[in-house]
Amino acid sequence: MKLKDILFPLTVWKRATQKPWTIKDPLNDRPGAENYRGFHKNDFEKCIGCGSCEEICQNNAIDLVPVEGQETTDGNSGLRPKIDYGRCCWCALCVDVCPTGSLTMSNEYTWITDKVEDFRFIPGADETKWQDEKKGYKRSENIQLINYDRVEMFEIEPENRDKSFIEIVKGYNKEQAMKEADRCLECGICTATCPAHMDIPAYISAIREDDIENAFRILYETNPLPEICGRICTHRCETSCALQNNGEPLAIRWLKRYIADQIPPERYKEVLGTEHLIDPDINKKIAIVGAGPSGLSAAYYLAILGYEVKIYEALPDSGGMARYGIPEYRLPYDQIEKDINYIKSLGVKIQFNTRIGKDISLDQLHKNYDAVFSGTGLHLGRSTRIPGSDNKRVYFATDLLREVTLGNEIDVAEKIVVIGGGNVAMDITRTLARLQNKKYGKVNVLATSLETEDIMPADREEIVEAREEKAIIDPGWGPKEIEIKNGKIEGLHVVKCLSVFDEEGRFSPKYDEKQKNFFKADMIVESIGQGMDLSYLSEEIKAGLKFGPRGRIQVNENFQSDLDWLFVGGDIIQGPDVITAIANGHLAAKAIDKFLTK
Amino acid sequence: MEQLLNRIKDKIEIESLKKRDDLYFINVKEEHIIFLLSYLKEHEGFTHLAFLQAVDFQEYNLFQLTYMLYNYNIKVNLGIKVMIDREKAEMVSIHKLWNHAWQYQRELHELFGINFPNSPNVNESFVLEGWEDIPPMRRDFDTLKYSSETFYQRPGRSTNDPKEYMREKLYKNFVEPPKIRKEND
Repeated sequence: MKLKDILFPLTVWKRATQKPWTIKDPLNDRPGAENYRGFHKNDFEKCIGCGSCEEICQNNAIDLVPVEGQETTDGNSGLRPKIDYGRCCWCALCVDVCPTGSLTMSNEYTWITDKVEDFRFIPGADETKWQDEKKGYKRSENIQLINYDRVEMFEIEPENRDKSFIEIVKGYNKEQAMKEADRCLECGICTATCPAHMDIPAYISAIREDDIENAFRILYETNPLPEICGRICTHRCETSCALQNNGEPLAIRWLKRYIADQIPPERYKEVLGTEHLIDPDINKKIAIVGAGPSGLSAAYYLAILGYEVKIYEALPDSGGMARYGIPEYRLPYDQIEKDINYIKSLGVKIQFNTRIGKDISLDQLHKNYDAVFSGTGLHLGRSTRIPGSDNKRVYFATDLLREVTLGNEIDVAEKIVVIGGGNVAMDITRTLARLQNKKYGKVNVLATSLETEDIMPADREEIVEAREEKAIIDPGWGPKEIEIKNGKIEGLHVVKCLSVFDEEGRFSPKYDEKQKNFFKADMIVESIGQGMDLSYLSEEIKAGLKFGPRGRIQVNENFQSDLDWLFVGGDIIQGPDVITAIANGHLAAKAIDKFLTK
Repeated sequence: MEQLLNRIKDKIEIESLKKRDDLYFINVKEEHIIFLLSYLKEHEGFTHLAFLQAVDFQEYNLFQLTYMLYNYNIKVNLGIKVMIDREKAEMVSIHKLWNHAWQYQRELHELFGINFPNSPNVNESFVLEGWEDIPPMRRDFDTLKYSSETFYQRPGRSTNDPKEYMREKLYKNFVEPPKIRKEND
């Protein structure tokens, strides 16, 4: 060994007195960059537990777990992502995909703990030192993994639709439907919101795979009126769609319509596998009162279970409020018939122009059938009962809509005021606008409601389209008096409505009497809600039933009344809307089956 | 810079794009790549090759290569983009122009499976010792499958499907769809 080799290492000691190049405490003095992909944060106020982060993770590092204090509600699963830092590679795909933007990253990158389990943690729930750190990686607004823009639906322009009852919405074609279906995250949060709990992600996935027959079968599992619902469903599912947190919700209703529109009526039985029905052993008969959505839904599910079903309908045609309450431009009659003809083809009989309680008594049905389902709906109008509302030129919206469907002439006035701000009010407003346009060549109909523009209960598109059709919507007024001169209506006096509901959410409108307005009219239509007609219940039957709030018949969770042979559902129990009625009929049919086969 | 681009356009067909004052891109056909790179290096002062990267355009059956050059005099970055066939996945080596390019080419060979014939040590593994699967940066490589199979799960993990969890919490008693009763059941 040379002397140099021994002495050379000692030369490093000369550095002992110099300023070191290394940093004394590198961990505390080196914050991550502004956009650094450090440890995760999750804003629980925004997170809806859709699981898109789990779905996209390429390392299988994320689980969805319940977290104390996070409720499962409409549009929020209550689940939250738990990340395993033994697997995470900080690629940030979970942040990029997050539709609510709740999941982000801090710029923190050091974490020392002696327990290895700590590195599996729930951002937002577990206490971390970086939870309030503002810096770090966030989803870019410019580069989106998800398409937040809905495929536009073609609608006939106002000038081509405002004189006729032609259907406005044209429906998606295949290319559009597949493109729209491609936006679905398949998180399934909407399924809980749908009153019929339709398996929405499953049928949308079937559209993506272009397996329309399977999609159609999925629809019929929970909804035997897809053409009707595909057009006029209240689509509450769309209000809980994960996409609406950052853009337009998926057009679930139009996709449902697309599926139903693809299957021609003659193929229904083959596709749905109902060519050889009726179990001869059952031999039980069910009567249904009312051929509306709840009755038809019950009839369908009973028929495929092998029961003999007969529906009694007071009006000359089937569909209930779907036909007699909803105008043809939203729901054409041939589409109603497409749904109902299939149900009829399964052996369901419908006897029209037969009012129970008048032509046949309910007791008689009880005698002749093993069980009865009643879904008679809300067909009576409700009056404001303001002075002047007893004039003969004051009408109920439901009555007029029914007359239009029946093909009867309506004495349409030149100046009309509609009282009400719900979908029925929009239906009658737009119907009258068309009739005025036909008769007078111009529209002069005004709809007013207690609710202000922002809280009007009607669907937004209904209000927009009504205005496109030249109807005036002037919300936020409370009706006070209808002025009448020599028996003829002059107009409606209103005062400003300040609030509709009290603090507990009860209906209790408050007015500012000083702010007044007067709407000129020679015809007034009231559309402030509907009532039920239960006059078909005999005193004897009534005595056997219990009645709840607002005179509703009390039923158990299976829609069975206290008279065990009588099941009741639809708008007279819940809702009112078509999809709830369908769900009622479905549940009742299963309960009737259980009741009769026990 | 515009004049420089025009000088190139006089010679070969290119498309150019200005991103910033100090960042430009040129799209060029595969057959002109050596001409363009050597011209830029020897005649236009783009003496530095900063990196060479690839992007997998699986849907078009193409790889995109980007040669990022830098000119110290005018302080401009210039990216040269070229599309090559994904099936053949072969590109002429530039290690004679920039010696260090062999390292980049070795990396691309391993991660994308793009071959650079005659590039030194191109077949040597770069970071993936003993890799037997398809190159992992190719888009048809199933990362999730690989990580699930390769790295074991810590015990005690469980997850929930939002749809099923919400059914359990909110509407457990809602009916299952009825089974259709047929003659032959």
